[in-house]
Amino acid sequence: MSAAAGLEKRFGKRLLEKTELRGELAYIVAPEDWLRVLSFCKESSALAFDQLDCLLGDHLPEREAAPFEVVAHLLSHTHGHRLRVKTSLAEGQTLPTVTGLWPSAGFDEREAWEMFGIVFEGHPDLRRLLTTEDFEGFPLRKDFPLEGTVGGRIRIDLRGKI
Amino acid sequence: MGMTDGLFRRATDSEVRAVVEGAPLKREDLELDISPDELMGGPVRFPGGIAMPVQVERVLGFGRSFSFWPLLFGLACCAIEMMALGGSRFDMSRFGMEAMRASPRQADGMIVAGWCSIKMAPRVVRLYEQIPDPKWVLAMGSCAISGNIWDTYNVVQGIDSLIPVDVYVPGCPPRPEALWEGLEMIRQRVKESKHAYDGLRRIPARDAIAEGGSDS
Repeated sequence: MSAAAGLEKRFGKRLLEKTELRGELAYIVAPEDWLRVLSFCKESSALAFDQLDCLLGDHLPEREAAPFEVVAHLLSHTHGHRLRVKTSLAEGQTLPTVTGLWPSAGFDEREAWEMFGIVFEGHPDLRRLLTTEDFEGFPLRKDFPLEGTVGGRIRIDLRGKI
Repeated sequence: MGMTDGLFRRATDSEVRAVVEGAPLKREDLELDISPDELMGGPVRFPGGIAMPVQVERVLGFGRSFSFWPLLFGLACCAIEMMALGGSRFDMSRFGMEAMRASPRQADGMIVAGWCSIKMAPRVVRLYEQIPDPKWVLAMGSCAISGNIWDTYNVVQGIDSLIPVDVYVPGCPPRPEALWEGLEMIRQRVKESKHAYDGLRRIPARDAIAEGGSDS
């Protein structure tokens, strides 16, 4: 894959790990290189990833040093190829937003922040997306209760909302 | 006796038949033996013919029951079964229910079809309150009834914790036939002018906090 060669030539050892599963290529990068790598993926004419398919968070508590992961799925309509870029984050560590590259990242980053508590610095509108404004906790973290919610039973307070 | 003294009494079957078939009246037919309460029970003979006294609510209920227009509103997968009931195979238009109104102002009731997220709850309550009285609510499927298996942070544990519900249709999702049966039960309540909100001073959602879910 020429795209992979271009990326490896540009970043070399800054790409921490390369995996390929059933023909799907993925690179793991450090959080500091997140914006630089994704920016190159979009701007380079050999890569030309003009679409961010999705950007998602993940919680892997068994990785104690860096339990959070952010994955970007990229698609190039110009060349017809795909790529995944991953990074690992510690609790409280932030990541620069990629809304400047792909405006559609706005919703994805809002969801990742809402569900996992991963803060994206520079995001223009980091509000809750799927839960109510007064919601507490990050529901897709593994330590979130399976039944009920933070503090036990589900309570719905509609005062001032109807 | 009271107000109907000398004027009204219950018509016998033969008298009804006689009037319908055009037979002449007899003097002894005009004797009264009926109380005002009994007036509502059936045809009454009075000088000059037979009357059918009924409560206005019953006439309205009879009329409404044949043109029950639900709100066009689906929340989740149950709405697919609701659409199947509206389609040609099950065809709810046979019962005057096909005109699903897209505006709550024109609807007679709502079918809460599917699970209601907590973020959606204020909208559901607002739609319910925008439906003019009299109105009826059908909770369709396990999620609308109790939250089903989703005892989680984002699901209302039964829509009856927010708005009064007339008929519950269980199933996951219920077959169109089951919803049809539920709508027939709604229709019976429409005929009898019974409402889930009878006796309520305000709907549960207007009370401070609705609770639900596990006690853990």
